[in-house]
Amino acid sequence: MAWKRICGADEVLENTAKKFNIDGIPILLVNYGEGYRAIPPICPHMEEPLEESGVIVRCVLTCTKHLWSWDLKTLEMKGETEKPLKVYDVKQEDGVILANIEEELAYEFDGAEEEDDDFFK
Amino acid sequence: MKITVESRSGSCAAFQCGERETILYAGLRQGLNLPYECATGTCGTCRARVMSGVIEMRWKEAPGAKKLKPDKGDVLMCQTRPLSDCMLRVPSDIATTCGNRPASRRGVIRGIRRLTNDVAHFELYLTEPMDFEAGQFVVLETGDLSGGRAYSMVNFDNSTAKVTFVMKRKPGGGFSDWLFTRRADEVQVEVFGPLGRAVYRPEEGKNIICIAGGSGIAGMMSILEHSTRADHFKNYEGAVFFGVRTLSDAFFLEALARYVTASNSKLRVTIALSHEDAKTPTHPDYPVLKLASGMVHDVAADTMQGRYENSVVYVAGPPVMVDSAIRALIMGGVPTLDIRYDKYS
Repeated sequence: MAWKRICGADEVLENTAKKFNIDGIPILLVNYGEGYRAIPPICPHMEEPLEESGVIVRCVLTCTKHLWSWDLKTLEMKGETEKPLKVYDVKQEDGVILANIEEELAYEFDGAEEEDDDFFK
Repeated sequence: MKITVESRSGSCAAFQCGERETILYAGLRQGLNLPYECATGTCGTCRARVMSGVIEMRWKEAPGAKKLKPDKGDVLMCQTRPLSDCMLRVPSDIATTCGNRPASRRGVIRGIRRLTNDVAHFELYLTEPMDFEAGQFVVLETGDLSGGRAYSMVNFDNSTAKVTFVMKRKPGGGFSDWLFTRRADEVQVEVFGPLGRAVYRPEEGKNIICIAGGSGIAGMMSILEHSTRADHFKNYEGAVFFGVRTLSDAFFLEALARYVTASNSKLRVTIALSHEDAKTPTHPDYPVLKLASGMVHDVAADTMQGRYENSVVYVAGPPVMVDSAIRALIMGGVPTLDIRYDKYS
C-alpha cells in the first residue's frame, strides 16, 4: 500500500479537475461534488488532456473532444464511450486527499499490448 | 489487394482495396464502420497499426498523424494506400453498417458565386446520383492539388446528381484559394461520400438546435431544408444560431427567413455578430431574423439555458467555436448522444 498525499481537499474546487505530479506519476484529481476521483490525466479514447478537455457536471465527467463520458460515482460508461476509466483509490483524511498509488495506471492505445498479455495466459 | 482489419474485440473483417484508394475509403464503401471523423487527415480518429504488409502514406505531415508512433507501424487509414495485402489493427469495434454506403464518383464544379467577401457558393454535378442525409459531407479532390477537402452539402434531395456547397476562402488555403479564383471554369473533381454522422432524422422526433460559425452553416441549411419539407416544425421547435463577424459577413439570409416563415415562427433564427454591435434587434432587410452581439456559442448558451429539453443540437464551425459550444451544451445538461458534430475544419 502506498497512500500518497495529493493535496488539501480545498485545493480542487467542486466540478473541477487539477493535475498533480506525485513522485513522477501524473494524477488528475477530480472533485465531482459528492467525492473525489484520482485518474490518469488523459482521455482513454485519444489521449486528450482531461484537465483541459474535461467537463464535470452532475457527477459525470465528459471529454469535450469526442464526448466520451463516465459517471464518477459508479464509473459507469455513458453514451458511446467504449473504454472504462482507470482509477486510483482515494480517501480523505484530516482535510487531505490521499491516493493509493502502486504504479502508474496507463491506457493501451492500439490493442497490440493487450494481445501480448493474452499470449501468457 | 486484400486488407484484413482486426478490431479491439479481436474480430476480423476483410475487404478489397484498389491501388489508388485509401484503406479507409475502401472499407467504408464496402460497408464497414471503420472509425473516422474528418476523412481528410486532420483529426486522427482513423488511426490503425499496420501489422503486416507494405503501405504508403499520402500525406506524411497530416496534422492527425502527430500522435502516432510510426516506428510501431501506426498510420491514418484515410492517408494510407496499400502496396500489398495488409493486416491492420484498429482500436475500436467494427461492424457492417446498414444504410447509405459512401462511394467514389466523379463530378464537375460549376456556378462558383461569391456570397460575401470570403465565402463562395458552388455547385457540383455528379456523374451518378447520390443519396445522402441532411448534415453529411463529401470529400472533393482535384488532379491539380493533392489531398482532399471536406464540404457539407447545403441542399437536400433524394438521389440527386446536383449538390451545392459553400466554402470559406482561406488565404494560402490550397483548394479554396484555388477554386475561388476559377469562377468561370468547369472544374473536374473526384468525390467521395456521403460521410458524417451529424445527421438529421425526422423520426427522432425532437426539437432542433443549430449552432454554426461561418461556413459551418452549410450542413444546417440541408437540415433546415429536410426538416421544413418533413413538416418537422408543426410539432417541434427549432432554434438556429448563426455566428458571423459582422452583418456584411452573413449569407443565406433569404433562405433562412423563408424557413422561419414556413415554420409559422416555430423556428427562430438568430444572427450573432462577434465583431460589431447589433444595431437593431432584427435584421433590417429580413425582420424575421433576430440579431445579437457576441460569440455565437455564448449567444446560444444565454438564449437556450434551461430550454434544451428533448432537443438534438447540431454544431459546426471553427474548432474553437465548436469546442466552446460543446462545453456549454454539456454544462447545460444536454446528453452527449443528442450533440451532433463532425470535426473537419
